[in-house]
Amino acid sequence: MTLYWIGDAVLLLVVLPVVLYLLHGVLRAARSIVPSVDAISAAARAGARDLDATALLLTTQDQAVRTVAGVADYGGSLDVILDDAEAGS
Amino acid sequence: MSGAGVVLIIAVVLIVAALAWYLIWTIVALARITKGLDQTIAAVGEIIEKTAPVGEVVTTINANLDAGVSALEGLLVKKAGMSDAIGLVDGLYPGAGAEGFRDHPGSGATKAPRIAEVYTRGVLTLARLGREAPIAAASPNGPVLRDVSRGAGAALGLYPELRQSHPEKLPRSPVIGTDAPVQYEPSDAPGVRRHMPGAAAVLDPEGRPDADAGTV
Repeated sequence: MTLYWIGDAVLLLVVLPVVLYLLHGVLRAARSIVPSVDAISAAARAGARDLDATALLLTTQDQAVRTVAGVADYGGSLDVILDDAEAGS
Repeated sequence: MSGAGVVLIIAVVLIVAALAWYLIWTIVALARITKGLDQTIAAVGEIIEKTAPVGEVVTTINANLDAGVSALEGLLVKKAGMSDAIGLVDGLYPGAGAEGFRDHPGSGATKAPRIAEVYTRGVLTLARLGREAPIAAASPNGPVLRDVSRGAGAALGLYPELRQSHPEKLPRSPVIGTDAPVQYEPSDAPGVRRHMPGAAAVLDPEGRPDADAGTV
C-alpha cells in the first residue's frame, strides 16, 4: 500500500508537472508560428498585388521597339544630312 | 477501493485531461498555420505566374535599347569623330568620357577635348534638356534648369511692367472696321495722313514718311 501512495505522489508531483510543462511548450511554439505565417501570407499577397503592373511590361516592350525604330529613322536621316567627321579626328 | 487507487485514478484523469486540453489547442494552432501557409502558397504561385515573362521581356527591351544606344553612339562617332564625341559626352556628364563607348573598345582612353569651353553653357544646357527628360529635372552639376513651381510667374516677367502690376482697367484696344466709331481716311502714302484732326496735314518737305507732322 505504501508503494501505491509513493506511486501516486510521483504521478502527481513529478509526471503531471512535466507533462504540463512539455505540452505548454509545444502549444506556445505552435501559437508563436501563427503570427509569422500570417505576416508572410500578407507579404506574399501584397507582393502579388504589386506585380499586377508586370503585364504593362509588354506595353513597355512594344514602346521600346517603336522608340528605337523611331530613333533609328532619325539617325538614318541625320546620317544623310550631316557630313561625316574628317578622317583621323 | 482503497484511497491510493482513487488518487491514482484522479491523477491519470488529470494527466489525460491536460493532454487533451493542450493537444486540442495545438491542433487549432496548427490548423491556423496550415490555412496561412495555403494562402501564402497561393500568393507565391501568383507571384511566380506574374513574373514568369519578366525575364524574356526585359531581355528584349534591353536588346532593343542596346541596339539604339549602339546606333546613336556609332552615329555620334561617325559624324563628330571619336575625339569630339568623347568630349561632348564628357562635357555633358563630367567623367563619363572615361568610360568610353561600348562598341568602341579603348575609346575611353581617348583624350577628350574640353567641349564645355568651346560651346557656351547654354548649348550644353539645351543638350542636357534633350537627354534628361523630364525637362524640369536638375542638371547633373548645376541648379535646376527651370523653376517648376513658379514657371508661370517666370513667363510673366517677359511682359511689360504695365501688365505685371495688374491694373484694374487698361485702355481698350481700338475698334477697326467699316462700322468702327472712328473712321480714318485712307492715307496717300504709308504713314502720312491727308488731314490731321484739328489741323491741316502737312507733308514733310523732304517727303520723309516718318516726319513728325502728319505721321501716324
